[in-house]
Amino acid sequence: MPENTSTDLALEVRELSRTFGARKALSNVTFDVPRGAFLSIFGPNGAGKTTMLKILSTLGNPSSGTAKVLGYNVVDDSVELREHIGFISHNPLLYPDLTAEENLEFFAEIYCLENPKERIRELLTAVELDHRRLDLVSAFSRGMLQRLSIARALLHSPEIIFLDEPYSGLDPHAMDILDSLIAQVREQHTFVMVSHDLQKGLELCSHALILAKGKVVLFEEHGNIDEAEFSALYRQTVGMGVS
Amino acid sequence: MAESTHRRMSSWRQFTAILRKDIVMELRTKEMLTSMGLYAFLVLLIYYLALSQANGGFNVGYIAAGLLWLAIVFTSLLGLNRSLVHEKDQGCLDALLLSPIDRPVIFFGKAVGNLIFLLIVEVLVVPMFYFLFLLKTGLVGPVWMLALALLVGSIGIAGMGTMLATMSVNTKGKDFILAVLFVPIMFPLLYAVVAASTAVVMGDAVFFGEWAKQYWQSLGLAAGYDTIMLLAAYGLYEFIIGA
Repeated sequence: MPENTSTDLALEVRELSRTFGARKALSNVTFDVPRGAFLSIFGPNGAGKTTMLKILSTLGNPSSGTAKVLGYNVVDDSVELREHIGFISHNPLLYPDLTAEENLEFFAEIYCLENPKERIRELLTAVELDHRRLDLVSAFSRGMLQRLSIARALLHSPEIIFLDEPYSGLDPHAMDILDSLIAQVREQHTFVMVSHDLQKGLELCSHALILAKGKVVLFEEHGNIDEAEFSALYRQTVGMGVS
Repeated sequence: MAESTHRRMSSWRQFTAILRKDIVMELRTKEMLTSMGLYAFLVLLIYYLALSQANGGFNVGYIAAGLLWLAIVFTSLLGLNRSLVHEKDQGCLDALLLSPIDRPVIFFGKAVGNLIFLLIVEVLVVPMFYFLFLLKTGLVGPVWMLALALLVGSIGIAGMGTMLATMSVNTKGKDFILAVLFVPIMFPLLYAVVAASTAVVMGDAVFFGEWAKQYWQSLGLAAGYDTIMLLAAYGLYEFIIGA
């Protein structure tokens, strides 16, 4: 059990650093995000956004510092934490040689869901893929893959959802479906999204974080953000290059 | 959207899900079985062409077991690489790593799948090998002793092979690296199973009145090696797959 399950914080990041050889991908990053928030992380390529997302979602370990997600330490309580996280990436994380339904059935087994059939049918309907449930995923378009990927990420009703460039490569219809799905579950979940799309990121977020060279350039609640100043600062960080 | 009921994690359920998924995918694509079977057939054909030049002046039985295991090793390398590449494609391995599953469960799921595919190929290859090379001389020992040696050797190949394939899947020259690591690490096992198989094929002609003793000693060595290597893989898999 995490030490502080009663905490209102979804993310507690303290002096988090990650090095790859001589390169510092993250350097002493510290911030807190409350439960139910939507955190958008911006920054140029190589700023450390994906490294941050990987550490928070237990796919990578920090070199130093600590990170807690929903009160669980990402290193010490990783197995327990994984029950509560969903991950949507620009990569679909689906088996192309299984059907849409088989993919969801497989992950339902991995998450040991009880009576998952109704949940699978409900999610396939929500992402408008119920009529294609028996088709192989290898025959799906990019937008369909992303919709199914969303269904996979929501299957086990996670408390926090990580989004890694989720709008990348989507057609407008798929973007609308993703927006609608996020809106449907927005109230009950915490979101952490990495994005290059400043407009979309600011539109959705309650908190915004700009990373550059592995360091926090700005961390602010949405209500305190002046969009013009924010855009200018973001453009400036893009010009700073990588760490 | 309705939430799914919460659950107790079951390693057995997760293990069977991985195994069933691999079998369904393989039965659908037949990629591994076709490539492994065809490769083994071609290797046997080349052996036949080479040994037919001896015009009966050479008893193939002396080297038959070694040739058989050489074909099995080369064939298994082909399959082992493919089994992990499937997981890596589309980020499916990340999806598994993001789920609340103990890493050794992934190892055993993949290893047992690889063992089943290897045994299926052996069921096709060994009778063909017998027909091409041992039809005249036959076996000294009973067929079940050869089958047992094949099973013990295949368990080690599938187990250690799965671990080494996991280590090499993130590297650039994964085919080359797997082969370079595989043979030296598997040498004691291969030596033992070749000796056991030779005892069954040639009997006292090679082992001078002690072929049965030699068989059981070699098989004991192979089984011991399997146990140590599987325990090592069990202990190290979390570190290896997360690297």
